[in-house]
Amino acid sequence: MSKSSRLLQNIILVVFALYALTPVYLVFLASVRSEADLFSSPLTLSWPVNLTNFGRVWTDAGFGTYFLNSVITAVSVTVLVLLTAPLAGFAFAKMRFAGREVLFGLFLAGLVVPAPSIIVALYGNLQGMGMIDTRWGVILPQAALLMPFSVFMMRTVMQDVPNELIEASLMDGAGFFHLFMTVVLPVVRPGLMSLVLIVFLFAWQEYLLPLVVLQTDNLKPLTVGAASLQGRYGVDYGGIAAAGLIAFAPLVVLFLAMQRSFVRGLTAGAVK
Amino acid sequence: MTKTSGAARVIAIASLAGLAAQPALAQTAVTQWDQFAAAGITAAGPAMDELIDTCEPSLDGATILRTVAPSIGIRDSYRLAVSADKTPDLAYTWPAASVLAGYARIGALAPLEDYYEQYGWDGINEFYRGRNSYQGSIYGVPMEQDLMGVYYNPALFEEHGVDVPTSYEEFQAAVDTFKEAGIVPIAFGNRDRWPATNTLSLILGLTAGLETEEEVLFGDEPWTNADFQSAAETFQSWAEDGYFPTGFNGIGYDEANALFLAGRAAMTITGTWVLQDMARGASFDLGVFMLPPIDEDAEPGTMWGEGSQWQVAAIASDDTKDAAAAYIDCLISPESREVWVEKGYLVPIGTTPEELEQWDALPIVKSFYTQGLATADTNFYDLHTTLPESVTQVLYAELQRLISGDTDADEFLTAMQASWEQSIENGERWIP
Amino acid sequence: MLTTRAAYLFILPALTLYLVFVGLPILQVIGFSLFDWDNGAMGEFIGLANYRRMLGDQVFWTALWHNGLWVLLTLAFPLIAGLVLAAILAERNQRLVQWLGAIYFIPRTIPLVVAGIIWGWIYNPIFGLMNYGLETIGLGGLAGAWMAQESTALLSLNVVGAWTFFGFCVVIYLAAIQSIDPSFYEAAEIDGASWWRRFKDLTVPLLRGSSLFLGLYAAIEAMRFFDLVWVTTQGGPGYATEVLTTHIYKTFFLVGDFGYAATLSVVLLIIVLSISAGAFAILREP
Repeated sequence: MSKSSRLLQNIILVVFALYALTPVYLVFLASVRSEADLFSSPLTLSWPVNLTNFGRVWTDAGFGTYFLNSVITAVSVTVLVLLTAPLAGFAFAKMRFAGREVLFGLFLAGLVVPAPSIIVALYGNLQGMGMIDTRWGVILPQAALLMPFSVFMMRTVMQDVPNELIEASLMDGAGFFHLFMTVVLPVVRPGLMSLVLIVFLFAWQEYLLPLVVLQTDNLKPLTVGAASLQGRYGVDYGGIAAAGLIAFAPLVVLFLAMQRSFVRGLTAGAVK
Repeated sequence: MTKTSGAARVIAIASLAGLAAQPALAQTAVTQWDQFAAAGITAAGPAMDELIDTCEPSLDGATILRTVAPSIGIRDSYRLAVSADKTPDLAYTWPAASVLAGYARIGALAPLEDYYEQYGWDGINEFYRGRNSYQGSIYGVPMEQDLMGVYYNPALFEEHGVDVPTSYEEFQAAVDTFKEAGIVPIAFGNRDRWPATNTLSLILGLTAGLETEEEVLFGDEPWTNADFQSAAETFQSWAEDGYFPTGFNGIGYDEANALFLAGRAAMTITGTWVLQDMARGASFDLGVFMLPPIDEDAEPGTMWGEGSQWQVAAIASDDTKDAAAAYIDCLISPESREVWVEKGYLVPIGTTPEELEQWDALPIVKSFYTQGLATADTNFYDLHTTLPESVTQVLYAELQRLISGDTDADEFLTAMQASWEQSIENGERWIP
Repeated sequence: MLTTRAAYLFILPALTLYLVFVGLPILQVIGFSLFDWDNGAMGEFIGLANYRRMLGDQVFWTALWHNGLWVLLTLAFPLIAGLVLAAILAERNQRLVQWLGAIYFIPRTIPLVVAGIIWGWIYNPIFGLMNYGLETIGLGGLAGAWMAQESTALLSLNVVGAWTFFGFCVVIYLAAIQSIDPSFYEAAEIDGASWWRRFKDLTVPLLRGSSLFLGLYAAIEAMRFFDLVWVTTQGGPGYATEVLTTHIYKTFFLVGDFGYAATLSVVLLIIVLSISAGAFAILREP
């Protein structure tokens, strides 16, 4: 390759890295600034670094609670999906039964259902079930909305389980559930890990559902908390930036630590 | 022995009765939704908490269960609660005559005229009673006295030799002076979509006057009348002539206020609802004046609103309704109003300038209300708390387009008229 | 393949959850759309009147047009950027690929609400980085209120959408490139084909499947995105960034016309389901 075209390529790589990182850096900068600096140039790093924004947001603005709520909700959704989707995925991949295609088609259709389009009816139903303003009111619909993707992904993962393995253990007289727990799950562990990460990511990022379902401040997750800061704290951008960082830093760390699993999960639908 | 046992029996019965009565009373819990936050708009949260503590003892054992929602969120969540038959017993939600009327229309709210009579809530004048009425019944107790005015920076005025304008021409001259000096004349941000509706309401009232407004709102006069046309043109010309910072449609309401408080703009036109933030945030002595009449035939006056109104759910039990009414009465008593003024930085409806003079209110608060309440007979409507929501949604969008120059006054008013007619056809119009 | 009834038990938990919280509401929404509603209270049956109203609703058509435009913008920018970046990275050492892949992907992990807030600052007319940058390099005349002018609002918002999406494209394309038989490239190398030729004649055609997947993914996402618009412009200025989901939200929550909101929801559902049905038909082709 010629030097100039390699240079051009490097420039492209760097420009997009800046595109990806500059906004993140900007939030970091804003989070360590004091309120008074709003109109100073956006790239000044005030020194010494001021960490009071984090403390203020964490305790006064309730982000400690919001954080905990995000964790509880995202973990619960993940557990719920983990308890249900792999079973269904296995059935669709390895078992034969009447109505298989129809049922799978039903799940596939749900792959694209936009949350805003069902919220109109969902709200009334949750109210009827006494789930408005409760964690379950967010967790259950959230898990349900993620179900089609999860079942689809699990089916893909389960297809890679060798049939011989299944047949061998069935011949030993094991029941299906026993087979699933002892033989299948250990084989698909990497796939499950990917599922966990992706469901956790989506659940953590959800905004509309908790926005609509939750009224009590003590139950709200980070996304709702961060968005409401805009109106509630005026131009306290130091605080809002700190809140934003609290809202996404865990995900970035998680992603960087588990990159491989993430990517495998994301590409499960694409490459097949 | 018998005597004692008799007495003991009496005591026992009394205490049993007491035990039986106690839970019955304590069971009356009034669920309250309000929007009094700790900071920002309507930052009267602490005052609210204090008043609940003050008022609860006078409620015969009833308790108040408070839920705070930010002023933007409460508008949505209240509607959802109503639709699911879970209307909170008492709510202080969203100030809009037509929206209140809409809830009254579907039977979600309890009529309050008996309580008005019982408690003699005379501080609430005809204008405000009308705004809370629907088909002859009153459905709300409005509380905050909202007024629009022009906050200004006296230091900048003095520096550039500008006096507080007493006529529209002087106001224009002041704007020109600041513009030439490179200072933003009026901090204005309309990203949140509602601030421009306040500004238009003010311009409209000072151009068309209260009477013409009522002919449109309650009569058959179309939006496309000459006075409204002139008001829309005035607003657009302000935007085009550099009255506002560039990119105002992308500037948040709070950011515009911050611009003014940072001394980077000479004025900002908004309401009493940010008095607390203004007073706390200003590094200079704050001033306020009323925008002079724009049309030479128009009377001086300003825009009146009510922050919001206390409204009681129709589905609440009679005990709960009674408790809620007693509680409202306590919240608007002179003693409570003093707490609202001194700690909540909000002035309840019915408060007089004389009361303010005695109470421990900031000079800017006194000044604002003395000026704004002086024109009680000519004060006019706030559009986005008066129109039905369907029309408000059109107003938000069309107004952004008007001031950005993407549409002209004609098209703006035609669009408004179309939406207005549609809402009347759907039975959404509120007439007091 | 095993024939068994146990399969139903395996599917039951997932199916129940899905039907109760997604399936049932869809049917209800269809029902709602046939009634007149006032402030959240159901009125009389009005058949297809809401659908007729929709045909004459300018805001609906504007919103739909914006959704369509969003698809095109996404295909034109993040998708192509992802393809080029992946093609460049494919020839670099594994460490660099790891690092840059991660960096490009970071925005995808940021909740859209937060992304909207951050970019709101960047575009802010009074203290934003965008205008500051333009002024610094002497182009202050180009400064503007990016997300608040009808001409640039949707485009500016799309830059934010692309920011969260292009890294995903890179990852998907990289995975696909790595599964291509290296001998194709070796042969091209021996022929002395330029990078651009290899990209155009080998990479692009061989990645057709991934492009299709990403394109359809982008199309569906473009139809249903909401968070980003809601926290930045709420559909403004005017109707410049109005999309179907914001129109639904306003009609439902603010106006309280549940029937019309349901009608718009049904139409949105029909559109995304058609896209995905088409997607599966195409992706199933070998």
